Amino acid sequence: MVDLSQTKSAEYAGPAPTLASRLAPYALPIFLILMIVVAGVISPAFLSANNISNMLLQAAPLGIVVIGQAFVIILRGLDLSVSSVMATSAVIATGFSGVNGDVIPILLVAVGIGVATGVVNGLLVTKRSVSPFLATLATMIVLQGFRFAYTQGAPSGNVPPLFRTLGSATWNGIPYNMMLLVVLAAVFWVLLAKTRFGREVYITGGNPTTARLLGINADRVTIIGYVISGGLAAIAGLVLSGYVGIVDNWVGRGFELDSIVAAVMGGISLAGGRGGIIGGLFGAAVLIVVFNAVLLFGLPVQFQIIIKGLVIVAAAAFYVRRSH
Amino acid sequence: MSATVSSGSSGFSRTLKKNQGVFVVLALLVLLLIFGSVVSDRFRTSNNFLNILEQSTGLALVSLGQTLTILTGGIDLSVGSMISLLSTVTSGTINGDVSMVAPVVVGILLLGLVIGLVNGLLIIWLKVHPLIVTLGTGAVLQGIVLLYSLGPAGKVPRGFTFLAYGKVLGIPLGAIFVVVVFALVGAFLTYFRLGRYIFAVGDDDAGALLMGLPRAKVILTVYGFSGFCCAMAAIYLTARFGVGQPYTGLNYTLASITPVVVGGTLLSGGKGGVLGTLLGVYLISLLNNVLNFMDVSTHYQLIAQGLIVIAAVSIYVERRKKV
Repeated sequence: MVDLSQTKSAEYAGPAPTLASRLAPYALPIFLILMIVVAGVISPAFLSANNISNMLLQAAPLGIVVIGQAFVIILRGLDLSVSSVMATSAVIATGFSGVNGDVIPILLVAVGIGVATGVVNGLLVTKRSVSPFLATLATMIVLQGFRFAYTQGAPSGNVPPLFRTLGSATWNGIPYNMMLLVVLAAVFWVLLAKTRFGREVYITGGNPTTARLLGINADRVTIIGYVISGGLAAIAGLVLSGYVGIVDNWVGRGFELDSIVAAVMGGISLAGGRGGIIGGLFGAAVLIVVFNAVLLFGLPVQFQIIIKGLVIVAAAAFYVRRSH
Repeated sequence: MSATVSSGSSGFSRTLKKNQGVFVVLALLVLLLIFGSVVSDRFRTSNNFLNILEQSTGLALVSLGQTLTILTGGIDLSVGSMISLLSTVTSGTINGDVSMVAPVVVGILLLGLVIGLVNGLLIIWLKVHPLIVTLGTGAVLQGIVLLYSLGPAGKVPRGFTFLAYGKVLGIPLGAIFVVVVFALVGAFLTYFRLGRYIFAVGDDDAGALLMGLPRAKVILTVYGFSGFCCAMAAIYLTARFGVGQPYTGLNYTLASITPVVVGGTLLSGGKGGVLGTLLGVYLISLLNNVLNFMDVSTHYQLIAQGLIVIAAVSIYVERRKKV
């Protein structure tokens, strides 16, 4: 094994930073604060405690998915199967008798499915060199088929009260699911930014050949990345099932794209090796604020989709310019 | 990895390697035909095969455009929204008026081309990966079609449905059209310089640029053509359903990619072709048809489709992206 502390400095040493490049990492937080201020001026209801609490509730499931998506995208991949994993774990949440005693088995089964999906994704991407887009698309479809077969098209049953509390209740205005997000974000931020494994993730994503030359088991790192994404998507599905209360086959629909949009907005490059969890979470926050503002301003809900489309292209273009 | 713009040099093993997708899909098609014939007597009827051809027309047209974008190493994720928009506007503006049919059809084809060209321009100007650009434009287009109409819009005259259900010598019009268009595009890819450049750009984007190939022209061509194909598919689907609605194209974004990769075109670009895609379309349609005859529910059909994608891409083994 090569001493990674050496490679780290080589990896990050760049040209001397200019003022613009010093400020650029804060572009998104600055943008977010500006948006919040503008939205608050236009519509005072935006900054009401109730609305903020509501936005936090909605942001948590997306944030949890974004953490996993961050790992995969930094590893030069992307994970389209997250929405399917979310819906499947939501369906599992109602698949038992709906009492609190079921929480542990539900958690085990749901996370198990998420992890298994991640393993399959990772194996296809590494061992068979399938493009991540295609591999995760295929597992998404297969999982969807299994889910439909399992529910016979019409899921029924109740979410255990504990999930209801976790997904939709607040403590002094702070949603429980937001607390969960903060804990998960902290844990995975440490893993990505402060550990040897995290450095291996960046090196593998930045340049797989270099990673191999350094003795990093790039395949293993990549597979673990997909496993993290699958596992977190399963947890997000459980949280979301607690938020919506009634589960259908499409809980989490759109999260695959929203999580990628959030990550890209947060400066996680699809080319791999760049970005971090905090940026991705800011991206998720921007998305949620935009969605909320559109409704609050009385714009047709269709503008949510249109603005999302414009924002992702603009953000990607911004980061491409920056990296040149 | 050398940037070979595969030229005339031939040889059997080379042909086999270049067209592995075609051979794999052909083999699977034959297996499915045999299997289907064993499963059900009604499967073997010519009526059933004509049905399959008729049903596969929309998918074939979208996948044709998708094949070209994927050959350049890109992808078009806006096809679903384009079809939804174009099909809704088609029936919304014709609105039962026979005299409107011809101008609207021409207008829709042009609109599809223009939207595709916008995709291409954005990809060139912004230097952002096509996946992100078309994801973004797809979202914008979906928002626009929902602003235009929240449900089915207008209607088409009875005669319009001839486009979907008409027959020539007993063969569905759409099926004949598909074969002709695929043949034309196949010829374009093989015998025209611009067609060859599509492979070159997909094989080694930077290298193609260094060699002075007109990369911008290639990008505009494939995304413009993809938009045009979506317009054709939208018109066909509107004729088939009698009306367009804002979710007509929803499933086509991902569905259009399946036959392309099953047919042996690599997502990394530079390898593949339209013949594989056409056979891929027939394979998917045939698979669903056989599963229907076996009374397999649509849920399991989904699983089968996903597994076929996994199997296909595992056989072809994409080359690792250059670092």
